[in-house]
Amino acid sequence: MPFLLVAPSLLLVGAFFLFPLLLSVQGAFMGADGPTLAHFRTAFGLYRNDMLVTLLITGCATALIGAGSIAIGGYLTLGGSRRARAVLAWLYRWPLFIPFIVAGQSMRGFLGQNGLMNSALVGAGMPEMWAQSFLDWRGIVITFVWKQLPFATLLIAGAMAAMDRAQIEAAQNLGAGRLRVLLGVVLPQVSRNITVALILSFVTMMGVLSVPLMISGQSPSMLTIPMAWRINSLGDYATANALGVLACLMTGMVAWVWLRQAAAEKAK
Amino acid sequence: MMRRRTLFAALPALAAPLATHPAAAQQRVTLNVMTAGDQNMVDYITDYLGPMFERQNPGVSVRAVGTGAGDSGSQRIWERLEAQRRAGATAVDVDVAVVHQSMAGRMVAEKLLSRYRADISTGALTTAAVASNALGQDVDGYVMPMFNSQVAIAYNPDRVTEVPQTFAALEAWAKAHPKRFGYNGIRGGMAGVGFVFGWTYAFGPDQRLLLEGPFNAEAVRALTPALQRLKAFNANAVITPGNAGTLDALNRGEIDMGPVWMDMFYTWQAEGRLNPSMRLVLPESGLPGQPMYYVIPDKAAHAAAARKFIELATSPQVQADGIVKRFNWLPGIDAQHVRQNLDQATWNRLFRDIGPEQLAQGARPMPQAEFFKAIQEAYERVVLN
Repeated sequence: MPFLLVAPSLLLVGAFFLFPLLLSVQGAFMGADGPTLAHFRTAFGLYRNDMLVTLLITGCATALIGAGSIAIGGYLTLGGSRRARAVLAWLYRWPLFIPFIVAGQSMRGFLGQNGLMNSALVGAGMPEMWAQSFLDWRGIVITFVWKQLPFATLLIAGAMAAMDRAQIEAAQNLGAGRLRVLLGVVLPQVSRNITVALILSFVTMMGVLSVPLMISGQSPSMLTIPMAWRINSLGDYATANALGVLACLMTGMVAWVWLRQAAAEKAK
Repeated sequence: MMRRRTLFAALPALAAPLATHPAAAQQRVTLNVMTAGDQNMVDYITDYLGPMFERQNPGVSVRAVGTGAGDSGSQRIWERLEAQRRAGATAVDVDVAVVHQSMAGRMVAEKLLSRYRADISTGALTTAAVASNALGQDVDGYVMPMFNSQVAIAYNPDRVTEVPQTFAALEAWAKAHPKRFGYNGIRGGMAGVGFVFGWTYAFGPDQRLLLEGPFNAEAVRALTPALQRLKAFNANAVITPGNAGTLDALNRGEIDMGPVWMDMFYTWQAEGRLNPSMRLVLPESGLPGQPMYYVIPDKAAHAAAARKFIELATSPQVQADGIVKRFNWLPGIDAQHVRQNLDQATWNRLFRDIGPEQLAQGARPMPQAEFFKAIQEAYERVVLN
């Protein structure tokens, strides 16, 4: 009976997710004359730099998201000014409701050589010759951080708020400063939530096509760009499938860290 | 349940006598027009051409379906026709399709299209090479160009005083003005791809072979020095995010020169989105352009109405009002047939920077279909790695 209850959802997942996924994986290994690794050779031959750049961009963005969300969550938990905490709590969530494509579009106008950011800086006295375009990999990192920071903060600040405040107060009574409390008391207790927030952010960013498409036409770029290009311009699903398998392996490595951590905690 | 099935089974029988009645049959004709390309293609048919055709042909309604931008949009039309052929359909549900060159060639080769051009009164109004040859494939009689669009180099005359007329001069200009030339590479739209093709036409050993074929891999390898030269050129260039990105960067003053689609350039200027002082130039060795084609599938359910529709769409009046005035595209039929229907101001706007003679001299087709793909891959291999 319980199996019957989950059958519809299993069927949906099987038919609309697992089956197409398996077909894509199979397509990555199939050539006109049977099984082949030629598509992976093409993928590595032409797009190895894109793979490295993808890891660089998502890695940098994830690290910055981690640092930013811990800082915001930390201030919301330990900050001295109640008004500042309220303003910050109200402000940080906004980008959460902005779609990636809109974030990309906004950043294009903001980060360009003559965009809003440089215009404001030049207006504030920065020499005009210093103004440079950030519409490259840096622009993608900035957009990802801006967009994903609230998501990670929501998870991390929520976990921090759920902590027993007695421990924080005890540490403060013993003379620990706010940074010491954050690093020594708070972070160790929310480390699992931080890992989850960062892994989910990493996996989300890996699959975003709109932002690199909007921000930077430069090459190498993120892996989603050549995947879309192989399909849309060349009708080459096989190499796109191979790139998809490689992208899955990259996210798989990160998911493995999470699973290992979860298993270790379960064993405790 | 059985009753409902019986009812469905009976429906064709009920409909059959109606279909044989001419007035009733005319009442029910829905002309399915499937178009690849951007949303503006669907809007063109839904808002302009469709209603005009319906007014002239009472009882016929035109239904436009967009299949998406770029070659993938044409691919979806091919997939639909191919699926119906495999299913053994006696009539296909696409009456008119608007497709890109590469897919038109393939559809003709696979006998998916009907040879209709000689049967329409406007068939003789086009003598352009693209009406008979699509990327190396003979399509004579099977296609009618809807419009032509052309890639050209847009520039800011305030910053570019000596306008490069050749690719070599352009290369020297970009070297002297680092990061002031921008294009959208090959993954960001066809203006950038067209520029790369133009580069290989200019610096490759054999332009004619690239245009006409036959394909051979050795000819692609022979392009390596030209592509290495492009790699060095790229070091001084800005790669923009797309066709619109180049125009945007030009308008913001972030670059002074870059390849764009002529129709997009004029449309942006007409809409006030681009500085009206910007100008266009077409280098001597040429840049590619491409038409989109009206085609009628073999076994189209309403082939006669489809021919009538294309006749209207390629008539001088519609080409003047719809294609040139509305979208700033170059006409699909020969320009001299359109001119009489255009006021002088529109004519001057269309050919303001690049006149018909320059266009005739510098407009090139895209490369032959296999070179088309191979050059892009060679660019990835040589320029991007």
